[in-house]
Amino acid sequence: MPPVEAAAGRPPPKPAPFTRRKIRSAAWQTALALALVAAGYFAHLNITRNLAASGVAIDFGFLTREAGFDVSEQLVAYTPKDSYARVLFVGLLNTLLLAATTLLLATSVGLAVGVASTSRNWLVRNLARIYIELLRNLPKLLILLALYIAMVRGLPLVRAAWTLPGGALLANRGLYLPWPEMPVGAGLTAVVVGVWIAATSVWARMVKRHQDATGVRRPLALPSVLGLTAAIGLALATGLVELHWSMPALTGFNITGGAHLTVQFTALWVSLSIYHASQIAEIVRGGIVSVDKGQREAAAALGLRPGRVLRLIVLPQAIRVIVPPLGNQYLNLIKNTSIALAVGYSDLVGVMNTAVNQTFRPVELMLVVMLVFLAINLSTAAALNWFAAWSRPPGKTR
Amino acid sequence: MTDAAASPPSSTTASAPRPWRPRHVVAREWARANLFDGPVNTALTLVTVAFLTWFVPIALRWLIVDAVGFHGDVATCRTAGGACWAFLRVKGDVILTGTYPFDERWRAQVAALVTLVTVGVALFWRGGFLGLAALFLGACLIDLVFLSGGVFGLEPIDATRWNGLPLVLFLSVFTMAAALPVGVALALARKSDALVIRLVAIGWIEAIRGIPMVAVLFAGVFILPLLMPPGLHLSSMISIFVVLTIFHAAYFAEDVRSGLDDFDKGQIEAAHSLGLGRWRTMRLVVLPQALRTALPALTNSIIGGYKDTSLVAIVGLFDLMATSRLATADVEWQAYSLEANIVVGVFYLVTCVAVSERFRRLARIAGADGDGRS
Repeated sequence: MPPVEAAAGRPPPKPAPFTRRKIRSAAWQTALALALVAAGYFAHLNITRNLAASGVAIDFGFLTREAGFDVSEQLVAYTPKDSYARVLFVGLLNTLLLAATTLLLATSVGLAVGVASTSRNWLVRNLARIYIELLRNLPKLLILLALYIAMVRGLPLVRAAWTLPGGALLANRGLYLPWPEMPVGAGLTAVVVGVWIAATSVWARMVKRHQDATGVRRPLALPSVLGLTAAIGLALATGLVELHWSMPALTGFNITGGAHLTVQFTALWVSLSIYHASQIAEIVRGGIVSVDKGQREAAAALGLRPGRVLRLIVLPQAIRVIVPPLGNQYLNLIKNTSIALAVGYSDLVGVMNTAVNQTFRPVELMLVVMLVFLAINLSTAAALNWFAAWSRPPGKTR
Repeated sequence: MTDAAASPPSSTTASAPRPWRPRHVVAREWARANLFDGPVNTALTLVTVAFLTWFVPIALRWLIVDAVGFHGDVATCRTAGGACWAFLRVKGDVILTGTYPFDERWRAQVAALVTLVTVGVALFWRGGFLGLAALFLGACLIDLVFLSGGVFGLEPIDATRWNGLPLVLFLSVFTMAAALPVGVALALARKSDALVIRLVAIGWIEAIRGIPMVAVLFAGVFILPLLMPPGLHLSSMISIFVVLTIFHAAYFAEDVRSGLDDFDKGQIEAAHSLGLGRWRTMRLVVLPQALRTALPALTNSIIGGYKDTSLVAIVGLFDLMATSRLATADVEWQAYSLEANIVVGVFYLVTCVAVSERFRRLARIAGADGDGRS
């Protein structure tokens, strides 16, 4: 076709500045923008008029006023005499604590169950699958309420608390964990741990370089663990660091010592963890299954033991498939901590609800809570993106 | 006769017959390969068996052996060591329909049934999109007539008394049915060349996905009524319906976008060169394939949205968990909330598995007769 060949030599024609389509598009956009501005104006008008009817106006000044209500638990000092801003901060810390502890437990359980669901052991594999399918298909609120009511009704009084292995106590007032206390040498310990982390990462890099150069893999975990144990043993033996465990024990009508987790927190922590663990397990399973079977067989044929096949061949490749959906799951987990309200744990949304009912300032309070959650989500997403980029091997774009 | 003789006996030639072995030998070899394959697996098996021999008898004893059957009474329940299924006979109505007027509760049951049948029909739908939309709209109207009354001689009943199963099904099914087209439009808007449209879509999707559903529900209860002109009263049922639709639409939009991202641009150019306009390209070429790619993600969102509808209990609507609590508020039956939780859990389990299996099958069918991409 000659015309095409002729056209190929010339630069493509410049798009016309005002085509009919562009004009139409601009008109639509202007209309939408105007409609949005109008909607925003009427929304503002209605809000002011509605609020004026109940005698309030939008004003963030109330945040410095005395809140006057108590919270179920707090990480920083708080009394009902403190301000609304303070109580929201207490709620935020509770949300973050719940999210962080749940993240840890859910990831560990999820990883274990996910690996178990690909086990060669028929019994283990099928039990793991039953766990995944059961918990993935139940509402989290149901799991939480069932566990909470079972704990409140089923657990013994403090007087007859159950002793768990390791010295923890469980009663209907909550879970009491042994807690390490370090009266002497906390600063030194932090320095030692910092040095240990740095030394281990340097050693890991040396191991990797040596393996790349010679193919021989030097031990990594063993010297690292031994080094830390030796450092801790030395510090304790010389008395530079004093460590003892504060054990929970019944004194009078209450349990003292150790760390106290309330029933609400324990129920939330456990139920959210087992719920999200099932989702994480499914993600981990998908990642492991996505690794070509031939890779395992080749590794086994080279004489690697099953544990090493998993650790050195399967998981590093699976992690690339696992990380993006896992990040989504973490974001969901953080948001899901807001079901805390159902059992009366004072998280951010719960505190907001009480404050709205007291002050009738829904607009200001919801705005604060939404901005806080957006900030948490954006920073978590940024951290996850950084991790995804870091865990990607060089040369691979996806 | 001749036809039958002509066809070869295919089943015997397909695979060589395996040598016959006694059943216990087969069982032993299976156990060795699947349970006692090396020391680690043997240890795992023993630990698991120990756990099961401890747990299964306890569970069975509670569920069946020591339990009081469906026709028992409170007195026997109080002395029994197991579950009290008689609770369900006495309080089943409360769990199912909550505070819906007792004499009219058949209407709530019919509404729940209509919703369930609608979902069943929709899952096996072979017609077009408009027919499906008409089906959901019609079912929604029928539900509203039965639940709310006030027409056809039905006694009017306030929305605050729509409780339990009809409420959960009504809210989850029809908000998601309404949210799906909105989500598709949002996903397309997010890919639009027009800046304003794109920014609006991004703002909607990211703002909603950034905040928890409980906060979105509170926004529906607290903020949405304030946005209305003074004098217009917005019931919390309508507010919740609206914010749930807005909420689900944002999640569906992200799922559809993943399908659009995967889409091969060459096909759009091909469609244009065949003379298809923009909308017909979208409707006939892009969307069918993008939705097919997005189906697994959409399935996850739909199941998640269905389960999370139970969170309306937190803002004071009576879902199945709230009605269960209502049922155990009776002092006589206080101790049997676990039985109620188990029944509600089984309902969620069965419905979630059924819906997700059907969707998984649809995805497989679509993948098989599609263009070969999975």
